[in-house]
Amino acid sequence: MRGFWPVFKRELFSLFVTPTAWILIVVFLVIQGFHFYGLVVHFAENAELSVDEGPVQAFFGESILFYLPLVLLCPGMTMRLFAEERRLGTIESLLTAPVTTAAVVLGKFAASLVTYAVMWLPTVLYIVILRHAGEIDWHVVGTSYLGVLLVGAGYLAIGTLMSTMTQSQLVAIVLSVLVILGMFMLGIGEFIFDPGALHDFCAYVSVWGQMGELAKGIVDLRRLVLDVTLVAVPLFVAVRAVDAWRWG
Amino acid sequence: MITVEGLSKSYTGTSFAVEAVSFRVNKGEVVGFLGPNGAGKSTTLRVVAGFLGPTRGRVNLAGHDLESEPVRARSTVGYMPESVPLYPEMRVREYLRFRAELKGVRRAERSAHVDEAMERARVDDVAEQLIGHLSKGYRQRVGLADALVARPPILILDEPTAGLDPNQIREVRALVRELGREHAVLFSTHILSEVEATCDRALVISKGRLVAEGRIDELRERRRSRGLRIAVDSGPRAAEVLARIETLTKVEPIAPGIFVATWREGALDLEHATEEVARTLITAGVGLRELSPVKASLEQVFAELTEGSA
Repeated sequence: MRGFWPVFKRELFSLFVTPTAWILIVVFLVIQGFHFYGLVVHFAENAELSVDEGPVQAFFGESILFYLPLVLLCPGMTMRLFAEERRLGTIESLLTAPVTTAAVVLGKFAASLVTYAVMWLPTVLYIVILRHAGEIDWHVVGTSYLGVLLVGAGYLAIGTLMSTMTQSQLVAIVLSVLVILGMFMLGIGEFIFDPGALHDFCAYVSVWGQMGELAKGIVDLRRLVLDVTLVAVPLFVAVRAVDAWRWG
Repeated sequence: MITVEGLSKSYTGTSFAVEAVSFRVNKGEVVGFLGPNGAGKSTTLRVVAGFLGPTRGRVNLAGHDLESEPVRARSTVGYMPESVPLYPEMRVREYLRFRAELKGVRRAERSAHVDEAMERARVDDVAEQLIGHLSKGYRQRVGLADALVARPPILILDEPTAGLDPNQIREVRALVRELGREHAVLFSTHILSEVEATCDRALVISKGRLVAEGRIDELRERRRSRGLRIAVDSGPRAAEVLARIETLTKVEPIAPGIFVATWREGALDLEHATEEVARTLITAGVGLRELSPVKASLEQVFAELTEGSA
């Protein structure tokens, strides 16, 4: 893993020293602020709704305002990781340093994951605000954030992979959004197909379903296996893709 | 220090950018890698520095095989790519600290390494500036500092003087010569005089193949006096006299009263041979106006070597 730390630190540095991370975080928080506000008002006006569901459940995974930013912002965080290095040519000095390709890929991915976590951090305030109004189930909050982290990690891993495929950040973000949207839509298949293998498969890979469960505090090991796979496979392919340039 | 054996690199699978190149660079030696643009210099250096994988052949760096121990092997090299890629959003000192850490320089030694590299490459006066704001000359030298920062035994520099002004070129050449005392230095250029000014040895590459290799003095030897240019007052008589001189061959008139003659193979004592020609001409009563040696320029030697491979 030689080279992980310096690559990780430099990547974080360059995400935060350039406007990229700040713009993404601001956009995200503005959207989530409205999202949260809307939900709270909705539940306040319809008190009878909150018998078996509260704003926490609704916030994590019941509205498109949760998924849309993820689908668009995650690729925004990862698009520059490799594409920019290739465009500048700095990939040449990076890969001729005594580091392993896996360390470079993981360092960059970890930096984007930390940025992603920083982006979500202020939303904890919403929970704190809700606490003033009523009871909070911290178990549910914990599993919800676990879901946020897992789903995000998968999207960021896909974005990292797409960034290794091209020299253009634009191509990288478009490819990532397409792939992530494709996966997201697979989940909708659950409501389209008749009960059977296809239906079950779509239900299994459904992000919507997964977040719905986690937001109720249900942790399903099968879903976790899927999530870890969705992180590991793109990163593994990314390592191979970077190594493949050497032989191009 | 650097051993390259039978190195070939193909980008397309059919045609080779570099083919069957073998050479060695020893410690304490500066070797110039010389060739016209597009000859395969950068490709070779990129393979040797470990950026590109060879299609065939082996590279050994300071005792480590690049294929079986890539990280070890790469840690012995300071490489400066041709385009000198740098991160524009970083400051010079930040960048060099990052590179030092990346190259495994221990935390306690990092500042000393960075300071020394900045001083040697003469970028200490811009240490706190953003790389994106630097001039081409400074960027080039930041790249050089980067190559030096981990104090590697091997330096590979791809056209280190490209884009510099004459003063900076002189400085960089002096630095390369100085570094050559403790390191094994391999640097590429398409400028012949640069090789003459800095290197102990030169490798000449053309169309992906090594066409000549030799010490600089040997290369100079090839451009030693090859003959004489003789100007006289009376053409026909002089031609007669010159034809009788044994050390000369191929006496050709190139203008009225002006001849070019080539030394006969094996005529080693050229100083005296020139005197002999002068004495013979004067004794014969020919009015001698000019006698000058004919030398091939290094450029000609270079052209002969690279054209010969076509």
